[in-house]
Amino acid sequence: MFGMLLEGYVVTLQIFFLTLLGAVPLGVLVALGRLSKSKILSRIVGAYISLMRGTPLMLQMFAVFFAPYYVFGIKTDKSYMFVAVIIAFIINYSAYFGEIYRSGIQSMPRGQYEAAEVLGYSNSQTFFRIILPQVIKRILPAMGNEIVTLVKDTSLAFSIGVAEMFTTGRALVAGQRTMLPFAIAAAIYWVSCMVIEFFLRRAEKKLDYYHD
Amino acid sequence: MTNSTIDAQTQQPAVCVNNARKAFGDKVVLHDVSLSIMPGEVVSIIGPSGAGKSTMLRCLTLLDTYDKGEFSYGDIKVTTQGPHGAVYDKQAMKAARMRFGIVFQNYNLFPHYTVMKNICDAPVVVQGRDKAEVEAEARELLKRVDLTEHADKVPCELSGGQQQRVAIARALAMHPDVMYFDEATSALDPKLTADMHRLIREFAASGMAVGIVTHEMGFAREVSDRVCFLIDGTIVEEGTPEEVIEHPKDPRTKAFLAHAQD
Ligand SMILES: Nc1ncnc2c1ncn2[C@@H]1O[C@H](COP(=O)(O)OP(=O)(O)OP(=O)(O)O)[C@@H](O)[C@H]1O
Ligand SMILES: [Mg+2]
Repeated sequence: MFGMLLEGYVVTLQIFFLTLLGAVPLGVLVALGRLSKSKILSRIVGAYISLMRGTPLMLQMFAVFFAPYYVFGIKTDKSYMFVAVIIAFIINYSAYFGEIYRSGIQSMPRGQYEAAEVLGYSNSQTFFRIILPQVIKRILPAMGNEIVTLVKDTSLAFSIGVAEMFTTGRALVAGQRTMLPFAIAAAIYWVSCMVIEFFLRRAEKKLDYYHD
Repeated sequence: MTNSTIDAQTQQPAVCVNNARKAFGDKVVLHDVSLSIMPGEVVSIIGPSGAGKSTMLRCLTLLDTYDKGEFSYGDIKVTTQGPHGAVYDKQAMKAARMRFGIVFQNYNLFPHYTVMKNICDAPVVVQGRDKAEVEAEARELLKRVDLTEHADKVPCELSGGQQQRVAIARALAMHPDVMYFDEATSALDPKLTADMHRLIREFAASGMAVGIVTHEMGFAREVSDRVCFLIDGTIVEEGTPEEVIEHPKDPRTKAFLAHAQD
């Protein structure tokens, strides 16, 4: 039983890490699009963020899962289930991360940009050397919350039949008439979140050498 | 008192602005302002709140642009006169940024960098200078502004006056021809004000041009070679501190001084 749960957990971890791998950098594009001087681009990205935040992730997953067939008439096989989950998670979390980045970037005082400008830093030097390191410190707590939420959100993948840990747990509970698999699954989620929180606290401590 | 009048015939100004105009929407903030600072000269811009001092300083430091006028740093012509006003040249702006340094009113140090890195980062990253050489120079600069023990601290561990001196060292490390100070002494006690006076005179003695924007008449009178009164976007009067502070001619200066001195 424990072994089967662990197999599910591997899928959970895959969803978790692949989502982070996609959404952490894509969020930068979302933030830059939202902050763009082009009104049209900013509006489009704004609408996308609003849609992602205003509809359930589970629905978005169904949309991504069924879109190839109902919109484009393409038949998909079973392997597409996992891909659909990853795509839905990435586009959803990119919106959330993008908003966190945007608020972090906008919270930076103008004086930092001006000091960099008069010292002759180029735009990209200013962003990567002066702005980004300070933004990271500012957004770390909000990112922490979102990442912990992601751990738990992975369980939504069961709704389109991807057998991650929660799905496995549910099948075991149904088959063995005991709540124990749920309890074990809960413990594994909890420990995972604690591990993440441990690393986040370490990172926050490391950046605690200054305040502004 | 200084030899700036002799220099004026032989040297070109370190910074020169001719008939510059700046408006925000319909509101004209600077009307045909002309200002130049010679190497080795300390010039203060004084004026009431809203006169346009900060706007002038922002334009001088290329954080904002004049709508009209000629503007140069030494031999670098930052603007040329186009049919619709001043045209800024991108390359010239880039080169001009290496000619001046500014100490902002609230310093704008980089909080995530140590004092040392605040000073060394731009010379290394922007000017491409040798890191070890820049660091050695930074230590000299820190000695000069009395911060030797603070090299490895971050700005939030320093007092306001110490942070200002880091900002001075950061600007000096770029080897500017012109140094600007926004409200140089408003946050300083008498001892630190005296130190600042000494430093500014040292900069001038080494051939640097110094531009100060300030409310503080006393400091401006003591440290400046020349004082410009900026009132309602116009330089209404300029001259040595004795001339314009002790014996103002323009009625607007007189009115301003009457308010300022009581
Ligand atoms: N970005 C801006 N947009 C519109 N108006 C502005 C802007 N910046 C300054 N002004 C206006 O320009 C005028 C001059 O402002 P400025 O800040 O240059 O005055 P100042 O001499 O520095 O005053 P103070 O001594 O209070 O700092 C003011 O009337 C101000 O309202
Ligand atoms: Mg001002």
